[in-house]
Amino acid sequence: MRKLRFAYGDAEVLRRVSFDIKPRSFTVLLGRNGSGKSTLFRLLVGLLKPREGSIAVFGRELHQLPLRERSRLLGFLPQHHHPVFPFSVEDVVLTGRAAHVGLVPKAHDRAVVREALEQLGIEHLIAKPYTELSGGEQQLVLIARVLAQKPKVLLLDEPTSHLDFVNAHRLMALVRDSLCAVMTVLAIVHDPNLAFQHGTDFLFLADGHVFQADSGRPPWSSALLERVYGVPMETVPFGQRAVVVPGDVSKPRQP
Amino acid sequence: MSPWIRRAVVFAFPWPVIVLSVFVGPQESISPRDALGWMASAVVQGPPADNVDFVRAIVWDIRIPRILLAFCVGGALAASGAALQAVFRNPLVSPYILGISSGAAFGAAAALAVGFLPVYGSAFLFGMAAVGCSYTLGRVNKAATPVSLVLSGMIVSGIFTALLTIVQFLADPFRLQTIVHWTMGNLHNAEWRRVLESAPIMAIGGAGMFFLRWRMNILALGDQEAYAVGVNPEREKIKMLIPATLAASAAVAAAGIIGMVGLVVPHMVRMMLGPDNRVGIPACFLFGGAFLVLVDDFSRALTAFELPIGIFTTLIGGPFFIFLLRRSRLGWAS
Repeated sequence: MRKLRFAYGDAEVLRRVSFDIKPRSFTVLLGRNGSGKSTLFRLLVGLLKPREGSIAVFGRELHQLPLRERSRLLGFLPQHHHPVFPFSVEDVVLTGRAAHVGLVPKAHDRAVVREALEQLGIEHLIAKPYTELSGGEQQLVLIARVLAQKPKVLLLDEPTSHLDFVNAHRLMALVRDSLCAVMTVLAIVHDPNLAFQHGTDFLFLADGHVFQADSGRPPWSSALLERVYGVPMETVPFGQRAVVVPGDVSKPRQP
Repeated sequence: MSPWIRRAVVFAFPWPVIVLSVFVGPQESISPRDALGWMASAVVQGPPADNVDFVRAIVWDIRIPRILLAFCVGGALAASGAALQAVFRNPLVSPYILGISSGAAFGAAAALAVGFLPVYGSAFLFGMAAVGCSYTLGRVNKAATPVSLVLSGMIVSGIFTALLTIVQFLADPFRLQTIVHWTMGNLHNAEWRRVLESAPIMAIGGAGMFFLRWRMNILALGDQEAYAVGVNPEREKIKMLIPATLAASAAVAAAGIIGMVGLVVPHMVRMMLGPDNRVGIPACFLFGGAFLVLVDDFSRALTAFELPIGIFTTLIGGPFFIFLLRRSRLGWAS
């Protein structure tokens, strides 16, 4: 069984935050800009060290794991950048195998790469130079790279930010339908409706605290969302679920 | 052109260049027929007869070691340049620009001047020191931008060049001549002994880069990208700088400062074969070797008096560097 527990105190960004993530869940983290979502992510992937508290993956202390071993447990999407050299998509995705490969990747690694590209429906890009792709395509390639890494826990910081409407839903459905069979996924998503449609568990971050939906109440209950987003919310019934729309956004955020 | 044809061209081009270079010489001292005749006799009848002593001396004692040395030096510098460009994710760097060449030249000259230090060891040590300084100085906010790295490399290179001048100034006149001749970037005093002592070191460096060639791709994508897949970028950089510096410093210790091969050849190879270092590193070694052999052919045959090869390569490389700087539109902050 795996447990992801976390407690932390740093420059008042996150105040003694604790939570567990269920194995094989698709947990979505929601919150407003500047609420500390990315800080939390940077902590979870080890780019920042917590001032207090600890992070455990499968009962093992994250900051004591050797980097190579850690990357086999925990995969994340690095921030967007503009690469200097025009590597082909295949070569970019192949670097995801670094923790599994000795010196030079083998045929098996290339098969894993192809499989990851097929999962995302971008196998036609395999020979294209990465630098000539659109922002959304580059994002999909980087997601393929982290899939080729085959981690047990996958952390995605706004994986849909550059994707079109269809690709965003396709990615979210892929995560829920196929990835969660083999790994645990935690993703930051900005659109609550996209999150509620595909996610299985939800975390909300506001004022340095993490909220979870009260048991028995659906995550789109307007009271909770109003607390997280600080604006009135309208809930529109939609099939079994509901779609949320922010109400009056002209008011300043409540303290 | 299909990638396979390009690959074939890059890997096939060096061999005829190397073989044909045996027939290139400054004067009509010996004709290609003489050289061919000597080689045929050497191959068919074992050691050549003494009556072809003159031809033997020129081909076996002068041309062949010189071609081999030029090949190894060119290959080592080009492969090292390709590795450095990948490691620092910077298409503008080379052993020359990062100060490895002048650091190694100072190390080798200092060893020659004092007379008891191992020349290649000292060259390697100061080459490492130079690239270490360039990288540390070039880092602004934990990251070296392409241009800041080039600037710090030039500063470090300048300092070591100044130190080299001091060594020349202080060295006793008898040794001074050796040092000056050699720092100009020269292959004219290539001989078997020099080939045999430097080639193994360049081969070790080349082999090290060859083994790490795929991992260079990981670093070439970026530090955070490397970290995400479980590679510690700083440690990995040091791991790759060692063979790259070893090869380049041995090349400098053997043939002096030959600029720009380490910059130009990786770009030529990348244009033909793409940025993948798995093919790039071996291709750079072969192609860079053949490139320097070819340039050396010109420096031998073009004029009756012999120009140091370093002058030729810098004349080709300088404009090329400016072309790169403009084409890649690298701003001061990028």
